[in-house]
Formats: sequence, structure tokens, C-alpha cells
Amino acid sequence: MASILRVNMSDLSVKKEPVPDKYKKYAGRALTDAIIFNEVPPKSDPLGPANKLVFAPGLFGGTTAPNGGRISVGAKSPLTGGLKESNSGGQVAHALSKVGLAAVVVEGKPVDANTVYVLDIDENGDGSLMAAPELKGLDNYATAEKMRAFKGDAKIATVTNGPAGEMLMKAAGIAFSDMKDLPNRFAGRGGLGAVMGSKGLKGIAVATGGTKAVEHADKDAFIAAVRKFSNALKEHPVSGQGLPTYGTNVLANIINEAGGYPTRNFSDGRFEGVEGISGETMREITLARGGNVKHGCHTGCVIQCSRYYVHEDGSYWTKGPEYETAWAFGADCGIDSMDGVAALDRRCGELGLDTIEMGNVIAVYMESGKVAFGDVAGALAALEECAKGTETGKILGNGAEATGNAFGVTRIPVVKHQAMPAYDPRPIQGIGVTYATSTQGADHTAGYSITANVLGVGGTVDPLKSEGQAALSQGLQIATAMLDSFGLCIFVAFPVLDIPAAFEAIFEMASAHTGDTWDADALMKLGREAIAFERLFNEGAGFTAADDRIPAYMLTEKLPPHGSVFTVTDAELDSVHDFVAATAAEMGITKPE
Amino acid sequence: MRIELALFASLEPYLPDADVGSGRRTRMIDLPDGTTVGEVVARLGLPDQPRICFIDGRGVQESDAIRAGSRLAIFPPVAGG
Repeated sequence: MASILRVNMSDLSVKKEPVPDKYKKYAGRALTDAIIFNEVPPKSDPLGPANKLVFAPGLFGGTTAPNGGRISVGAKSPLTGGLKESNSGGQVAHALSKVGLAAVVVEGKPVDANTVYVLDIDENGDGSLMAAPELKGLDNYATAEKMRAFKGDAKIATVTNGPAGEMLMKAAGIAFSDMKDLPNRFAGRGGLGAVMGSKGLKGIAVATGGTKAVEHADKDAFIAAVRKFSNALKEHPVSGQGLPTYGTNVLANIINEAGGYPTRNFSDGRFEGVEGISGETMREITLARGGNVKHGCHTGCVIQCSRYYVHEDGSYWTKGPEYETAWAFGADCGIDSMDGVAALDRRCGELGLDTIEMGNVIAVYMESGKVAFGDVAGALAALEECAKGTETGKILGNGAEATGNAFGVTRIPVVKHQAMPAYDPRPIQGIGVTYATSTQGADHTAGYSITANVLGVGGTVDPLKSEGQAALSQGLQIATAMLDSFGLCIFVAFPVLDIPAAFEAIFEMASAHTGDTWDADALMKLGREAIAFERLFNEGAGFTAADDRIPAYMLTEKLPPHGSVFTVTDAELDSVHDFVAATAAEMGITKPE
Repeated sequence: MRIELALFASLEPYLPDADVGSGRRTRMIDLPDGTTVGEVVARLGLPDQPRICFIDGRGVQESDAIRAGSRLAIFPPVAGG
């Protein structure tokens, strides 16, 4: 029987309790949503004592389900003001499941602001808080190293918060350790590092030696379904070849070709310097320097899209920048140097800053004229302002909108205050629908319409037109919320969209693991319920339809090369969540106050 | 007619011997008027797997014909996020 660990930062108590009945059917994103929905008043101050920070593995946490070890982190976001789910790879999800924990809920706010705390979770899932003033202000790599040194031989997976989160910056994310113990996987979006910082929590050490949780209702059926899923993941050319060979940054050339590669703060859809920062080039450089170009971010990953980027001498520099990061510090800033991107990525990793938000921050800062587009040294200097917590740094660290407002830039690419990722919504309208309507703010993973709009996966929908985009985004948003609740990496969506056996394998694994009957309808219902929690919370927090819109300038400013503007109508955008009322009624939930 | 051909990722080795175009993974090639995307694929001997094709930045089918002066870009199955 799994438990929830309640960590009270006000009185520094840590208690384990059985999972309450109303949460039992949920895991991952659905569980973080359920807890925040039920326990955090939607008008709470995100950096105050009433907000909670919830870490939850998915339903497949601790099992051998391929790619089932992602973690969800939930809270009211200080950036968007809504119910945020931020998702990460790394080793913590499996570790938590194996010590018998369905969730860790961090509550309250410490009385003593002069120290920071580390939560230590042992093999039995019991926890204790320790004051760790020596960790205050340290970067993620130094923090993780010191936490490991403190534990000696005991093997742990780490959650760490960098100085940006300690300074309550709204672009701060939370780091998780990977398979080589490096704190380089991130729950990046939405400022959850600031929530962690507001609670004085600097790190969580989770013993990796737990042996609980991995009981299946039908072990043989589970193993058979695992094999079926694994075969499908390997068979599909995207998950089986494209991603493991080139990593996510293989997208650079194709999004650039499609004319949707946001360049110099979303002023063009093509970047003349794309080959300097493409996935092909990144791979060539890494191989030439003797680096590793293929590994998984967590145990049980069969897709293996991750890699390390290395210095000229082959030594580790930073996690191989993902497509979003290479774009954010690359094209969006007019930078065409992979080493420049790597330096910016490494610094954000150390400070604990979301690379998508910070790429946008620097691009907006460049548009103000403070730094020239393409100036790597100037971009790094801007990050140093954040590191030092200067007045400028505190503005920059609060995100693209704060930066634009402070420095007089009006072209600010955000929705619900969160900056847009690596696809311009004007020539790729399907992703624009997701940006506008997702409860998460401008988010690409929440409903990855790039699949049908550009990649020919799961059908084709013309990216330049508005037809079909609302339905596409809606279906993907529901499916993604489902995958996030299982702890499944969203890259399984590529085979799932094209190979029926892959989709079947998910509910077969779920049935064999839990003993309940899961089918296609049950999977989609789970996705709808997670989104219903998020939508109703957001309404309670004050969101209206006016928040489900693309920034006005993108309705009229034509983006080269196609000369496109965003044309999906307000009515179409408002149709995306038309299922929520019925879903909420079935769940018996209403808008929280 | 002359067009610019671009091949990316695992298709790069199939770039023909010809003048480089606007990027390192592009070549300027000559084709009979009205050549279709599929005919170019066959001519290059691309591997038998799904591919993603663009003419001047718009997604196309392999039955679509190419016009003089345009850019044909072909990708193997790729994705990310």
C-alpha cells in the first residue's frame, strides 16, 4: 500500500500517511492536480504558506514499463498563476515508488529564513528534515555533490533547487539527477523552483535501494504487455531510430524548413544560422570530441534520446541541449554557435533556470537593445546578472514578460505570462491552439500538434490553415495528460499515434499492474479528469476566456517566410475545453473558492 | 529545370555530387520539367521508410510536381519536443 509523505516546513515535521481514498485512482499529473485542486485555495499566494509543492511518480513508477519513470511536480505557479504540472525525467520517480511513496507533499513555510533544509527519504519511505545552511546559494551541481558526500556510500537520487529558486525568480525550475547522478534533468517550466525556494527546501535525497511497490496484479500479463510496448517503441522510426541517433534537436532543420523556427524574438520563421545549432551539427561536434551520443534519462527508457555535450577535450560540459534549448539560446537570440548554446545551457543548469523562459528573456532583452542579437558574451553576462541577484538580474529571472515590461519591449511572446517554446504559432497554427488554450500557459508538450502539423505523425493537418487545429490540439492535450499521469515519457506518443499495438499495450500494462480494467476509454477519461482539475482551479484563480488567446500582435504581424498570422477564431479556441463541464459533473467537482 | 535539393539527418549521405546550394546539406540539381517528388526519391535511391517532404517550406505529397527554382527538402522520420 503506497503512502503520501507530508513535509511541513512550518514546524519541520515529516509524516507518512496512507493515500486517501479520493486520491487512490490517480498518479503522476492526475495526482499532483488532485492534491493542489483539493488542498490549495486557488487565490493563494504561490510563494506563501498556503501553496503546496507536490512530487508524484506516475502509475508505472517503480515498474519495468518502458519509459515509465517520469515525475510530475505540481503547485500553483508563481509565473502563470494557474495550476502547474511540470514534468521531468531522471531517477527520482522510480526511487520514490520503490520506497513506497505515491507522492511527497511540501507544505507551509519555514520560520527561519536564514537557512535552507534538505529532506532525507530512506529505503522505507520515511523522511526527516535537516537544516543545511552550508548549501545556501550553491548551484545545482555543487548542491547535489555535497548531498551525496554527506550520504557517503548510501545511493541516492537527488532533487535540487538552484540559487535562482532561492531568490524566488519566476523562471526557476527544479533539477533531478540522471543515471550518472548529474542534476541535469529539469522540471523547468512555470517557476516551481521559486515555490521550492519559498519553502526553504534546497534538496531532497531519495534512497534508491527501496524494494516496495513493484507488485503486479498479474505479473505474466504485465511482462507480456511490456514486451509488446517495447517492440512498438523500437519499431517506430521516430522512437526507434531518429530520436536515439540525433536527439530532439534533429527538429531544428525541419521546423526551420517549415518556416516556423522563431528567430530573433519571433521576428522571422527561418534562421540563416540554423546549421550552426542543428541536431546534425551537435552530433558531429560531440562525436568529434569523443562524447557519448545516446542514453536514456531514466532507468527503463528504451528510446534513449539523451546525450551529453562535451568540451573540446571530451569532458562533460552539460546535458546535450534539447531542441527547445538549442532554439532558445540559438535562433531566438540570433546565436549560431553550438558552444555558445552549451555555455548558456550549462549556466542555466547551475542556477536552476528554465532554458525556454531564459532564451525568451535574453531575446526580449536583445530586442530592447541592451545586448546585440548574436552576442554570446552579452547573453552570458545577462545570466551573470541573475546569478548575482542584481536589480537587472531579478527582472530577467522573473521571465520574458517581466523583462519586456521593464525594458520597453512590446513584442512579448507569452500566454498566461509564460513564454512560448520553439515553434511560431502563426505558420504552425496547431501548436498555437495549444499555446493559447492549455492550462499550462504557452506550452508545447501539453498538446504537441507538431505531430500532424509538420511531422506527418498521427495524420496530416495543414499548419498554415486553421481548419482541424482545435480538434487536433484537444485530442493531444487529453492524451498527454493521460501519459503524464502514467509517468510515461511523451515521446511514446509517436509510436502510440501510429501503431495500434502501442496504444493497446498501455492499457494492458495498466490492467495487469493494477488489477482494474483499463481500456481506451478509461485512458482518455483519466486525461480529461486531470485537465478538469486544472481548468476549474484556474477559473477559481480568476482565469477567463481572455487568457486563452495568442498575443494580439501575432494576429496582425506577418511572419516571414510564409507571411502568416494566427487565424484560429476565438470560438474555435473556446471549443477546445468543451468536455470539461461534463467531465467535472461526472467527477462531482466544482470550481474551488 | 534547376532546383535546390536539401537532405537532412540520416538522408544526408544520399546527397548527389553537385554544386552546394544555400546550406551545407543542399545541392543544386537539374531535373526534367514536371518531375514529381516521388520521382526524385526514386532517382536518389532513398531508403524505403516514411519521409517528410517540403517544397518551399510547405508540406507536400510525393505525387506533387516540383517547379523550376524551388527548394525540395526531404527528411527521414524525425521528431522531438
